[in-house]
Amino acid sequence: MDAQDLVSGLVSELRRGTLILLVLSRLRQERYGYELVKELTDRGIPMDANTLYPLLRRLEGQGLLESTWRTDEPKPRKYYRLTALGGEVLSRATEYWRRFSRQVDQCLEG
Amino acid sequence: MENDLMERYIYAVTRRLGPKQRQDVAQELRGLIEDMLSERCAGAKPTERDLRVVLTELGPPGELARKYDPAGDRALIGPPYFGLYKRVLETVLVCMAVGMTLAHGILALLEPGTWYLLVGRWLSGLAAGLVGAFAFVTALFAFFSWRGVALEQYNFDDLPPVPKKRQTAPVWESMAGIGFCVVFLVIFLGCPQIFAMPDGTPLLSAAAIRGTWPVPVLLAALGIGRETVKLLERRYSRRVFLAALLADGLSAALMIWWLEAFPVFNPAFFEKIAGLFPEDPGFSSFFVKFPMFFLAVFLFALALDVLDAFLRSREV
Repeated sequence: MDAQDLVSGLVSELRRGTLILLVLSRLRQERYGYELVKELTDRGIPMDANTLYPLLRRLEGQGLLESTWRTDEPKPRKYYRLTALGGEVLSRATEYWRRFSRQVDQCLEG
Repeated sequence: MENDLMERYIYAVTRRLGPKQRQDVAQELRGLIEDMLSERCAGAKPTERDLRVVLTELGPPGELARKYDPAGDRALIGPPYFGLYKRVLETVLVCMAVGMTLAHGILALLEPGTWYLLVGRWLSGLAAGLVGAFAFVTALFAFFSWRGVALEQYNFDDLPPVPKKRQTAPVWESMAGIGFCVVFLVIFLGCPQIFAMPDGTPLLSAAAIRGTWPVPVLLAALGIGRETVKLLERRYSRRVFLAALLADGLSAALMIWWLEAFPVFNPAFFEKIAGLFPEDPGFSSFFVKFPMFFLAVFLFALALDVLDAFLRSREV
């Protein structure tokens, strides 16, 4: 295993948890899956649709998101939105993330 | 053709999912693939090649299905149990193989026959025993894994004290116990007529025993189950005591019912014995009551076993 393999393994571990945080934060406003993929990509955080779509469904199953099918558009699309529980989880996790990332930065610099 | 490939892909993903989410996921994926295609082609009509690129980006259908349903990927016997499962399985299979071979060796000595028939009987007994033991241990651990039965203690205060010498349950003890159950079962079912008077009058009624074969099988299974619990714990503990109490209690009830309801003993045997001592009616009446005597000894042995498990598992 060379350095490149080790780095990609480590990076994907690092991304896994933060992606959930990012997805929740983007769904304060109602969005459909592919819209979210593009939005995150535009913000420099590329995420594969094959990861995001199952993730949305899992978060919905946990009660963090709710969804509605909109059929009034040319294509029927499933829109996801944060629930009250999702909002609470997001704000607590964000608070933790801020503190944690600051401490990690300090550690890495020191 | 294009749509055909898309639908085939979607079907390959959703067919592994539960019926409730199948339709929903299919419709969502259809929308996603169409969005990805129109993004890629920017208004132009997508070709089959475009579709292939998009589907390649989405990845193999099986992988996508697993992402949708991680629970479907869960092992029958998960990581905390797997190591112990393998160890117990090895031990039980070795006991079964040795016990079967021993039992068939004894049978062959008692009832010599054509060698290839004996070997055939041994091999078929061995195969049935190994498959049965494998199924039994696997089912036991699948149950543990499913219910999340705690086989380890995580709370420091609840960590069991280091067992004293009398409390250790060496592996050989359980192996011998399991081997004995196997030998007992094979000889009992395979050759009940070996317990007989010199003239061949059998003590046991082979027809009654073979007609009620599930009873001895269950008795042996209870014994093996009890020894397996001991193998898991490697020491006399509350659990070992409760397993002994349960297994021995059931064995006792089963044996009482079996002897009551079925003519397991051959009455002709006792009449013959009584006939040998016509001048001593007391002695012959003892033999007529032999089944009762046998039952009493059996129950006494079980009670001793439970008492032993109780005393050894006590934390003093």
